[in-house]
Amino acid sequence: MQNLIEARSLFKDFGTTRALRGVDLAVAAGESVAVMGPSGCGKTTLLHTLAGIELPGAGQVLLHRDGGAVDVAALNDRQRSELRRTAFGFVFQQGLLLPELTAGENVALPLLLIGRARADAEAEASRLLAALGIGDKAAARLGELSGGQQQRVAIARAQAVQPSVVFADEPTGALDSATSAEVMTALLASTVGAGRALIVVTHDAGVAARCDRTLHMRDGVIVETAVRGSAAAAGAAS
Amino acid sequence: MTVLTLARLFARRSGGDAATVLLPAVAFAVVTMCTTVVVGGVFAFFTLDGPNGTTYRFLALLALVLLVVPLVSLSGAAARLSARRRDTRLSSLRLLGASSALVSALTVLESTAVAFVGAAAGAAASLAALPLFGLLHFDGRPLGGAIWPPVWVFFAVVVTIVALSAISAAVGLRAVVLTPLGVRTRVVSPRARWIRALVVVLVLAAAVAATSSLDSFAQIGGLIAVIAVLLAAFAAVLGVLGVVGPLVLKGFGRRWLKRAERPAQLIAARGVLDDVKAAWRQVGSLAMVSFVAVFTGIGVAFTQTTGSNDPATRLLATDIRTGVVLTLVMSFAMVACAVGVNQAAAILDRRALYASLDRIGMPVDVMDAARRRAVMAPLLVVTIGSALAAALVLFPLTGYTLLLRPAGLAIIAACLACGIGLVRLGLAVTRPVLVRLVTAGVVDPT
Ligand SMILES: Nc1ncnc2c1ncn2[C@@H]1O[C@H](COP(=O)(O)OP(=O)(O)O)[C@@H](O)[C@H]1O
Ligand SMILES: [Mg+2]
Repeated sequence: MQNLIEARSLFKDFGTTRALRGVDLAVAAGESVAVMGPSGCGKTTLLHTLAGIELPGAGQVLLHRDGGAVDVAALNDRQRSELRRTAFGFVFQQGLLLPELTAGENVALPLLLIGRARADAEAEASRLLAALGIGDKAAARLGELSGGQQQRVAIARAQAVQPSVVFADEPTGALDSATSAEVMTALLASTVGAGRALIVVTHDAGVAARCDRTLHMRDGVIVETAVRGSAAAAGAAS
Repeated sequence: MTVLTLARLFARRSGGDAATVLLPAVAFAVVTMCTTVVVGGVFAFFTLDGPNGTTYRFLALLALVLLVVPLVSLSGAAARLSARRRDTRLSSLRLLGASSALVSALTVLESTAVAFVGAAAGAAASLAALPLFGLLHFDGRPLGGAIWPPVWVFFAVVVTIVALSAISAAVGLRAVVLTPLGVRTRVVSPRARWIRALVVVLVLAAAVAATSSLDSFAQIGGLIAVIAVLLAAFAAVLGVLGVVGPLVLKGFGRRWLKRAERPAQLIAARGVLDDVKAAWRQVGSLAMVSFVAVFTGIGVAFTQTTGSNDPATRLLATDIRTGVVLTLVMSFAMVACAVGVNQAAAILDRRALYASLDRIGMPVDVMDAARRRAVMAPLLVVTIGSALAAALVLFPLTGYTLLLRPAGLAIIAACLACGIGLVRLGLAVTRPVLVRLVTAGVVDPT
């Protein structure tokens, strides 16, 4: 399978804290990868470095698109911001949606940011919300939505621009287990189901079990990779 | 844990965002300086006698009253910023065993200390500013030494402003504790709206009737009665504006929302509509000021064109314009400070949201444009709207003076433009707070 995003020996320091110490990773289109590990082991940092939010201290992040490869870490601030807007989608633990906008407008926002007309963007947003089963909530304010519904709005927003990779940082962390399963179904359907790659940080083994691969991290390195369906771990990454 | 250790922790924790201490301090300095200068002016005017002595006294008091509204809104803004700072710390300090009452008390103490430092600096600055204001000509000669109020005034102004800030900080904290975040679902029933409209009309009619029969009040109770009636009429108009203003902003907000195409336009329109009262609180004080400025500006220009030969009247007309310009500039300066303080609070309030918007690739320029627009659009509506209202009220005079004496109106227009520029500056000053927040990145709570 063709790799979509690839990390090569990533290192990242915050002051004296070494958050990543040599991470290698490759994710293909249509593949879902879960990242697990104790708090503070570098999961969020890995996600942010892959997405070009943080720059690695050393190493490369390659995004394969249009037949070529872009080194995300070599781009400037503006280019990385543009990349996040056009090629990536994000789902955070709390929705982190704009509270003054309606659900539909929140989903339309990434489309407006890339210059789409408002009516067009809102129509697309309604379509995405409907596909996630909350089509009737497009005009609702966030305060009127449950936690699970807000996460669906966030999932819809993350796929609005049809990104090639969706990053989710503990997207079900604030939800009960039943809602958590529903949200994960929605997330998988809208990413892997549409040929995108999904990288999801989670503490929930149930969530990880539904991904193609699970990476276990400790102290800034991947210590174990479990492939779904195969009984044994497929070896360490380094 | 002793209060002292906690206070030291407080001091350390606030070191991170200097703007949140500096902005309120500057705001209080500006308020103190403006108040001292205006009070000095009132004292100076009370020493003026001659044919227009009474009028001067009345005008000085009017200027003082006009400045009270922006003054109160500015200290309220500074207090709200303190409340935000308290919120961000409350959780961490509570973990260390401090009760929320203690943290609140310390926050009030801290914001009062900031107010005191600012007010003291403002009082000191007014020592330098007063001689400059002494150069202004009123009644045909410079104010000179007359502008210096008695020494106790400086202390009284500082104490009053510090006390005001302590009270509004305490009230602000209570409000934050009492109102949960979330959607505002309160709806005004059509009937309540109808009654409101009736009250507005009645109050306005009463104000007009009272001011137009000032003569009879003067006969009954002299100058005091006239001043009382005018102040009451002024308060009535302010009250009416407080009801009508937000409704007008709501109307405009709906139109902005409908027409919004770019993200910043959409977010700004929704932001205004989300809390029209807050949008009004921020810029509403300029409605009255702008109205009075244009009203008197036209009046003065008209007096000059009609070529009244009475030198005292001509002098009075020029002096009124000087006073109007001063009031206008000071009001805008205070609103600009309040906007700066409010914006710093708003940015801190939404730090997690702004960080997440940066992550999804929203340029800082778009975030900045959205919050800028949410302030500037209502500001323009309010100032230009009330300026036009004043011009409309005086309609025949407006056209007349515009043709014969455009320079007089141009001065007022230039002052309005400068004032709007000042507020824009207040927004620009808080941009680095946003940029730093986004570029520094926020450590995840997880
Ligand atoms: N912006 C930052 N500044 C300083 N240290 C940070 C920052 N972000 C993360 N760290 C540190 O890097 C390490 C990894 O953090 P993180 O990636 O957030 O872990 P996880 O998401 O696995 O809980 C932690 O020790 C954390 O304290
Ligand atoms: Mg994390």
